[in-house]
Amino acid sequence: MSANNRLYGTWMAILGIVVLIGLYTTYKLFTVGHVLFNTDDVIIWSLPLGIYIYLALISSGLTILSAFPLVLGIRKYEPFAKRLVFLSIATLCGAFVSIGLELGNVFHIIYIILSPNLSSPIWWMGAIYSTELVILIVKFGLMHKGEWHSGFSKFLATASFILALVAPLMIGSVFGITESRVTYFGPVMSIYCLLMAFMSGTALFLFYSLIVNKLTGNGAPSELYDGFALIFTYATAIVVGFTLLKFAIESATVVPEFLVYRQFEHAFGAIRGFHTEVLLGLYLPFVLLLFPSIRKSAGGKIVSSVLILMGTLFMNMEILLAGQSRPVGPKAEQYPEFINYFPSIWEFMVFLFSLSIMLVLYTLGERFLKLTEVPE
Amino acid sequence: MPRYAMVIDLQRCVGCGACSIACRNENNVPDGIYWSNKITETVGKFPNVRHHYIPTLCNHCEYAPCVRGCPTKAMHKLENGITMHNPKKCIGCKYCEFNCPYGVIYFNWQEPHQFWKNDNALLKGGTSSPRQEVEKVDAKKTPYENPERGETLPANRPKGVVEKCTFCDHRVKRGLLPRCAEACPANARVFGDIKDPQSDVSKLLGKFRPFRLREQIGTNPHIFYIRSFNPAQYSQTKGGV
Repeated sequence: MSANNRLYGTWMAILGIVVLIGLYTTYKLFTVGHVLFNTDDVIIWSLPLGIYIYLALISSGLTILSAFPLVLGIRKYEPFAKRLVFLSIATLCGAFVSIGLELGNVFHIIYIILSPNLSSPIWWMGAIYSTELVILIVKFGLMHKGEWHSGFSKFLATASFILALVAPLMIGSVFGITESRVTYFGPVMSIYCLLMAFMSGTALFLFYSLIVNKLTGNGAPSELYDGFALIFTYATAIVVGFTLLKFAIESATVVPEFLVYRQFEHAFGAIRGFHTEVLLGLYLPFVLLLFPSIRKSAGGKIVSSVLILMGTLFMNMEILLAGQSRPVGPKAEQYPEFINYFPSIWEFMVFLFSLSIMLVLYTLGERFLKLTEVPE
Repeated sequence: MPRYAMVIDLQRCVGCGACSIACRNENNVPDGIYWSNKITETVGKFPNVRHHYIPTLCNHCEYAPCVRGCPTKAMHKLENGITMHNPKKCIGCKYCEFNCPYGVIYFNWQEPHQFWKNDNALLKGGTSSPRQEVEKVDAKKTPYENPERGETLPANRPKGVVEKCTFCDHRVKRGLLPRCAEACPANARVFGDIKDPQSDVSKLLGKFRPFRLREQIGTNPHIFYIRSFNPAQYSQTKGGV
């Protein structure tokens, strides 16, 4: 048995165990209820929803990246196209696991179709991501059969690109139309989600591809990855600029909710008023990427993309929790002024279950679906 | 079709909590969930101190954020203005709870009324266990369960869905007042059709300038508060520098 096969077997065994634990978690959630989460009627949405947002945004970012060769016609990136589409599908499946276990009654989900509410951003978010998943699967099937440039294939690529642009805007609007929570309110959240999607999708692709290349010993020429690293740097620069703007607005306003928000002890700590996760998970990798020697090295790409991937997860969680940390209205009678939150073991299990489903798909796809294929 | 609203007279309200107790009994409200609740606030420093007590319930907003955001229309408006919830359509996304500006929607994190499933008697061989109490009166969840609640909504909502005040729609349908209004010993809660200029609600709103909670966000809530209770006296003064 070769070392690679042993590694593959061990990896799949570990993932299999995590999937089994995830299935047990699912059973417990359906029988006992979401009391297993460390949530209450103040902190309503917690880690499982944060993971959903995180993975769904990454999936959108991957689909947007896949549009470079498939929609915008930049042919030098064609060797990445099939893998990008597949990663997007697998990541979205992970996101769906997380949201499925976050919902109190997933068996009623049929009413999303039978009784749709077109004024609900949650409805649109669900509809768009579900449609995008179907389109991506069909698109991937066509690519697998070698049908890359047919009219239908191009139509699907364009449709998935448009949906991938709109879906993060919808996630943002779920928060952005919440008048009762001013710190979320407005179009800023939608723009933020779209930018985060592109940046985190690029980070995941770079990290994943370089690791797979290292393990399998074959892959695309390094100058192509340098091109992606440059795109990654631009994406990070835009998010850095946007985050600074958001920080400036939040610091300058005297709207009462923001004054309270500023007093909030940051979930992951702060250095001189700046959130730790933003400093280490966004500004630091951005600075690293500014140096061409680091940006062009495989190690530099991996370190910066890992920092971004961790940073975006923590940034999502910080935003999600900060807007829910105080009870609304009469709930202040029942709960303390500020609510502390740390995920329960069951929430961590949902997190691991989602990741394991995604990683199982990644691994199987890499092994059996010829993800580096290019058209004739 | 009437448009129901409630006026709460804060001068009459003594903060006894009868409304909340009546609501719990009428609607089989589980522990930790409050369809009828209150906001209290103490301001100032003794002896110059005042205490505010504002009873709260679902505001049955005209432009209800919970209704707008619900992906399956489980949260919906009835023709008479009541904001109603259908647990059979609820997927438990909790967006209504997240979106409600008034903090009056709650989620059933577990099967409700857990206490009454307990088999442990307080005095073994001497008293009944909670489960035996339920069985004795042939109830489903609690011995004091009100089956009438089940006319328009499951009498006990299951785990994984939200719940909130319905203005006792099952009673209103039969021409009865919401239970909280009926139970109020001070007649502080006045319920009626705001579209009818002769209704008590309309008369009070014409006579007293009301306020509503978080009016500025444009939800057009239909719980109106009038007057305030303040027996304090002070000597006439022009202040000083």
